[in-house]
Formats: sequence, C-alpha cells, structure tokens
Amino acid sequence: MPRHPDLRRRALAACRRCWVGLAVVAAGLALAAPDFDRLLSLAQSRYGSSGVNAVQAWQRMLADTADADEAEQLRRVNEFFNRRLRFDDDLPIWGEADYWATPLESLGRGAGDCEDFAIAKYVSLRQLGISAERLRLIYVRAQIGGPTSRISQAHMVLGYYASAEAEPLILDNLIGEIRPASRRADLFPVFSFNSAGLWVGGAAASSADPTARLSRWRDVLERMRNEGLQ
Amino acid sequence: MSLIKQLWIAIALVMSLAFGGSLLVSTLGARHYLAQQLYVKNVDNATSLALSLSQMSKDPVTVELLIAAQFDAGHYRMIRLTDPAGAVIVERANGGGALGAPEWFAALVPVSAAAGVAQVQDGWNQYGTLTLESHSRYAYESLWRATLQLLGWFLGAAVLTGVLGTVLLRHITRPLGRVVAQAEAIGGRRFVTTDEPSTTEFRSVVRAMNTLSARVRGMLAEESQRLEQLRRQSQHDELTGLLGRRQFLNQLDAALSRDDAAATGTLVIVRVGELAALNLALGRPRTDALLCELAALLQAHIDAQPDWEGARLNGSDFALLACGSSATAAVVAPLRAALDALAERWHDCALLRLPMGATRYRNGEARAQVLARADGALAGAEQAGDRAVQINDDAAPAHADLAEWRSSLEEALRDDGVSLALYPALNAAGALLHHEAPMRLRLDGGWQNAGYFMPWAARLGLTSRLDAAVVRAALARIASTGEALGINLSVDSLRDAAFRSELFATLQGQPAAARQLWIELPEHGVLRNLAEFRALCVALRPLGCRLGIEHVGRGFSRIGDLHELGLDYLKLDASMVRDIDQDGGNQNFVRGLCVVAHAIGLTVIAEGVCNAAERRTLAELGLDGFTGPGIRVAE
Repeated sequence: MPRHPDLRRRALAACRRCWVGLAVVAAGLALAAPDFDRLLSLAQSRYGSSGVNAVQAWQRMLADTADADEAEQLRRVNEFFNRRLRFDDDLPIWGEADYWATPLESLGRGAGDCEDFAIAKYVSLRQLGISAERLRLIYVRAQIGGPTSRISQAHMVLGYYASAEAEPLILDNLIGEIRPASRRADLFPVFSFNSAGLWVGGAAASSADPTARLSRWRDVLERMRNEGLQ
Repeated sequence: MSLIKQLWIAIALVMSLAFGGSLLVSTLGARHYLAQQLYVKNVDNATSLALSLSQMSKDPVTVELLIAAQFDAGHYRMIRLTDPAGAVIVERANGGGALGAPEWFAALVPVSAAAGVAQVQDGWNQYGTLTLESHSRYAYESLWRATLQLLGWFLGAAVLTGVLGTVLLRHITRPLGRVVAQAEAIGGRRFVTTDEPSTTEFRSVVRAMNTLSARVRGMLAEESQRLEQLRRQSQHDELTGLLGRRQFLNQLDAALSRDDAAATGTLVIVRVGELAALNLALGRPRTDALLCELAALLQAHIDAQPDWEGARLNGSDFALLACGSSATAAVVAPLRAALDALAERWHDCALLRLPMGATRYRNGEARAQVLARADGALAGAEQAGDRAVQINDDAAPAHADLAEWRSSLEEALRDDGVSLALYPALNAAGALLHHEAPMRLRLDGGWQNAGYFMPWAARLGLTSRLDAAVVRAALARIASTGEALGINLSVDSLRDAAFRSELFATLQGQPAAARQLWIELPEHGVLRNLAEFRALCVALRPLGCRLGIEHVGRGFSRIGDLHELGLDYLKLDASMVRDIDQDGGNQNFVRGLCVVAHAIGLTVIAEGVCNAAERRTLAELGLDGFTGPGIRVAE
C-alpha cells in the first residue's frame, strides 16, 4: 500500500478538487486508500487549522501503525480516538437528537457520541486492512454505575473477532482499555452489523441511489465515501 | 399513393418513434425504481430478520422455523443463513413460479437488485450471516403491465389521430373530386362552370377553369348568334320575318317525305289581293305595316303549335303549313276569324281582300301536287269573294274515330305488331354510324310508319307505351346483331317521368346493348321541355348510350346552351339539307353550325340526304354523317 501520496498523485488530487462531481469516481479507483488530500482540504474549509491538525494526526497514526500487528493496531486506534474525541451527546454537537458522524466530522469537532467513536474506529481499522467480516458495530445495553446499578443506557461499541468463532475484543469509549467481551459484564449485546454486503452489493449504485440517504448506516458510509474514505 | 395512405404511414412512423422513445424512458426508469425498491426491501428485511434471530435462542429448530415463517409469509426468492465459516445453516429458495411477464420480456429488461446481507449475533459471538433476496416477479409483472398500457395508449392515440386526420383530409380533398370532374368535362369539350370551393388552392384552379369555360361559352354564344343572323338573312323574308319561299318549300318537302312526319297536314295559302293597287292607295309604309301585321297574326298561330310553319311565298302570298292536322276546317276557321278581325281594323282600306285556299295533304304526296291543289283552292276563293275560304281536300283518313284507333293500336302493341325500319347513317368514309330505326306498327293489314299512327297515338296518350316498345325492340336487336341503332323518342315521352324512369331501368338492365343505342329527340320538343331534357341527360349519361337532337335547324343557337349536359350528336333537319348544293345561304349557315358543334364535341349528321351532290357538298361543309333516301350502305 502506498504510504504517502507522491507528487504525481498530488497533482491528480488537485484536479479532483476542481471536479467535485468526479470525486466519487476517482475515489472508487483508489480502493481502500483514503484520499487525505481531500480530507485535509475539507477539514481546512470546514473546521480550520484544528481540524487539519486532527486529520493530520489521524493520518500519522494510521501510517505509523500500518505495519504493526493487529493487537497493536487495535490498541493504537482505540487509544487515538478515546483521547482525541471528547464524549458528548449528538444534540449539543450536531443539534440533532441522533446523528451518525463520519470520522472527519468527529475529528473536526473533536467530539462524538458512542456510535461516532465506534464508526471512527471501524473505519480506521478497515483502512489498516482488517476485513469487515472480523469487525462488528454492536448495539449494547450498558449498565452504568457499577454491577449493582440499575441504570442502563443504549450504547454502541466496536467488536473485533480474531476468528469467526472467537470471543470478540470490545473497543469502547466508556472504558478505555480493550477487553474481551467476557470481561465486560456491564454490556449486554443486542445486535451487530458491519458494512459487509453494503460495500459489495450496493457499492456500484449507492452513490446515485437516493435510498442510501434514508438509512443512517448507508448514509454515513455514503458521506465518508464523498469525503474521500473508502 | 393516396394522400390518406401517406397520412397513415406518417402517423404510424411518428407514433412508433414516440412510442419507442417513451417506452424506453419509462421502462428504464421503472426498472431502476423497482430495482431500488427491491434492494431497500432486501436490506431492511434482512436486518429485521437478523435482529429477531439475534434475540432468539439459537436452537436449530427455532432458527429454521423463524426463517421459514419469514420466507413463507413474505415474498422472497431466497433466504439463507450461513455460519461464519460459510457453511449453510438454513436455506429457503423459491426458484420457479409464473413470471407474470413473457420470458423474452424478462430477458430483455432484467430487474436485478443486490441481496440484503445482515449479521446474526449469538450473545457476543457471531452466529452467522443472513442473505435475503426478494422475489422480482411482481417487478416484472408491473413493468410488463405498464408497457402494455403504454402500447395500448399509443395504439389508441394513433388510431384516433388517423381517423381524425382521414376525416379532415377527406374534407379538404372533397373539392378536389369536383375540380377533377370539371377538368374532365372540359377535356370532353363540355365547358361547365362549378361553384368555387372554400379551399384557397382549389379555388384558384376552379376559378381559372370557370373563366376558361365562360370565355369559350361566350365565344360559342357569339358564334351562334352570328349564325342565327346568317340563317335569318338567307331563309327568312326580310320584311315580315317569316320563312322565305325556298326554305318553306324545303319544309314542305320534309313534311311530305320524312318518315316520321305526320301522315296528314294542312297547307293554307292566304293572298293579299291587289297588292300593287294597295301600294298605290296606302303608300309603301302603310302597306308594309299591313303586311307585318298579317305576318304577326300568322306567326302567333304558328307559335301555338309545335309543328306548324309559316312563310311569305312572294309579295302577296302567305302560307301556313299545319303538320299533323287531319281536319282542314279546324285549321282554317280560327285563321279566317283572325283575318276577318284584321280586315275590320283596316276597313278604311276598301281594296283589302284576303281570300284563302286550303288543302289537306298526306305524307308521301308530291310537292307539286299539293301546291297545285292549294293554288286551285286559292283561285276558287279569289273567285268566291274577298274573304272566301275554299277547301280542296282529298280522300278521308283510314279511321275516323278515336275508339277504333285505340283498339287497333293496342292490338298491335299486344300482338307483337311492333318492328323497326332500318336506314343507315354513314360517316364521311362510308362506314356505318348506326341504323336509324323508326317504328313500324302493323295496322290495317300492313306495316305503317309513325306519321300514320303517331298523331292518333298522341291524342290517345299512347306515345310513351309505343316508345317503350321501340326501346325494347331496339335493345333486343342490338343484343342479337351488335349493330348500333338510333331511335327517336317523342316529346310526350320526354315529359312523362314514369317513362323516363322505366327507360332508365330498361337500359340499366342491358348495359352492353345500351352502349350501342343512340337516342334522339326532336329539336322543338327539347327546346320546349328543357328541364325534362336535362333530367333525362343526367340520368342516361352514366349508362353509356348516346344522346342527340334531331331535326336541328332554327333552334341551333339555343342548343349551344345544352352542350354541358353531355349531348353527343345533332341531326341537321332535312329542310336545311335539301338542295344545299345550290343554296349558298344555307351552306354558310351549315358550315358555321358544324364549326360550333365540333368546338363543343358534337357529331353532326345530315338528315334527308337525297343525292350525291348534296352529300358531297355536306361533306365539304364539315358534316360527320349522312342519312336519308340517297344514303345506302355500299355493297
């Protein structure tokens, strides 16, 4: 995988900026390689230098961990977002009760709620080469305030399956440490999903498909694609 | 190719183009929409089924039941649950089923939607991957139905447009038929004018043709007028306007020799006695006025009867020829009364004497004989007194009373007593135009010609029955020999609407024979019954028989007006033909008549041609055919 865009690709990317309409097509050609030029320029225009810094940090982190083993990659990605992003509800951040943000948006704002953390980590690990089959975004019921507490809330975490039958490792923002699922007695899994099937089947038509906007998950995938992430 | 056919082709082309285009757009649009819908349904149903499965206990029966329930109750082509390693746990598939659209249609417009994929969780562990595909049958069905509907609409619209277009086109081109008919009429030298149609383009054409027709008719009218003047100059007495001697004698000849002339008639001669002395006493202008008054009186008598003629034979003698009268006294008495009234008006002139001699003549008598009898009567009257009448008749007619005539005529009609005499009418080259076929009736033990019985038949109202018998006999003869026949119809028949429709039906029944039939009517009858003649022409024209006017002479200037009815030929009266080789005035008239008749496409045949000299002169004058005693088919 090319580490860093060379000069020629920079020139190409500059062209792409001119033709926003062609961005999707161009991104489709550069499968699974994030278009950081585009991400950076979008961060600059939307969030200013702090956004650019955050994206550059993300880019550096991904580059640094590209050759690391999977455990290290998981740890670094989990740590990066848990540190970078401040947890907050969607309403204060986005002015909406529930908003699924792309990694660019989360990094730009420096904040996110549980699914924003999970999405950002999912996308990062996918960029590092971990296949969608081994990753799950998992809706969980989280018990808050210790084992005896009766307060629970809807939450989302990212699960990593070393193999299909393995117990998943849970990447969470409530507890910074990555733990096996069995050590997360506070979480009760409800449903899981990933982008398998969506990427494959819907990929070709999805950008032109108005129905994509009606599903939060397909919507956020779509927006990521437009921002330069595959 | 007709305009209407072209219109339909254009509509079919435009409609197929429009239909093809809209079918393509609508079908592709619908297919895209349906594929989207199917995909959304796949994704949503896969997710909700996976969510249910994730919540349930994972014993195989429950999992299979849940999937089966979803599959059986829903509309799916396939639901499959595979474990994380890819092995199938449960699969339900429905391959077949009617498509709801023809196979070729499904193959032509495939609706493909990606399957919905969702993950099933067993607690924290992966349980499997759910793949779900909805049935696309209804998509094909709705696509197919929409296509059929569209096709229906377009066909309907095409037919409607076509029908409307056809009606409109018919409306537009209807005047064209009339324009063509007029052009053809002009091509056939019938210079008709028609109403101008509302379509601008046609209107200018019709206007041009109307102008042409009007101009030609004007020209012909002028020519006819000139001819009429010529004829009057050569045939009529300058002062009184009555016929001159020569022409009157021609008329008398025709009346005595013509086959269809009345069997009997009366010749009356009135003499203005002592004309020279009158001239001296009254002076020339008053004498002329007297003569003119006498002529007018005579003319009034003539005009009242179709077949009568009047003439000034010389300075003092006036003649009246009453064809068809059998009772001399009946002709003479009213004339005598009128003359007496005239004499009363001129009573100051003691010299005025108006003796009158009369004689009956029979068809076939020699002219000199009749004239001698009339002169004898006049001489007797002169002896007898100023206002004397002397009648010098010959033998009485065969039957005296009407009842006797009726029974013998009806007997002849009933017992097949009708036959046709045949006289050839030849063209200039000597070829046969047709046989003139006057009627013969078996009466009084022999075959009698029309002049013998026609006046009586007319009085008995039997003429149309006789004419109908002639038509039947003529058609039968044409059918057997194939030779053209010319028959003449009487004026009474012309006026009889029942006879006209019977004639039409008879001719229609034998169309081949009808085309060989030449039908002619006498000039004076046509001119007195123009409306009926027009009706007859219009009715007979499509049947292909020829229509002509016989005994044409004085009325020619008015016959020109009839040409647009589709008249085919004229027969020039024998009185115009008699001694034509010696009569320069008549030659000029006949030459002009031929020119005008040819201009309007009429054939001109001379009647009563007696000798080779007449025939030669007539041929030089432009006559197309000849008939009469001097004309025989060359052996």
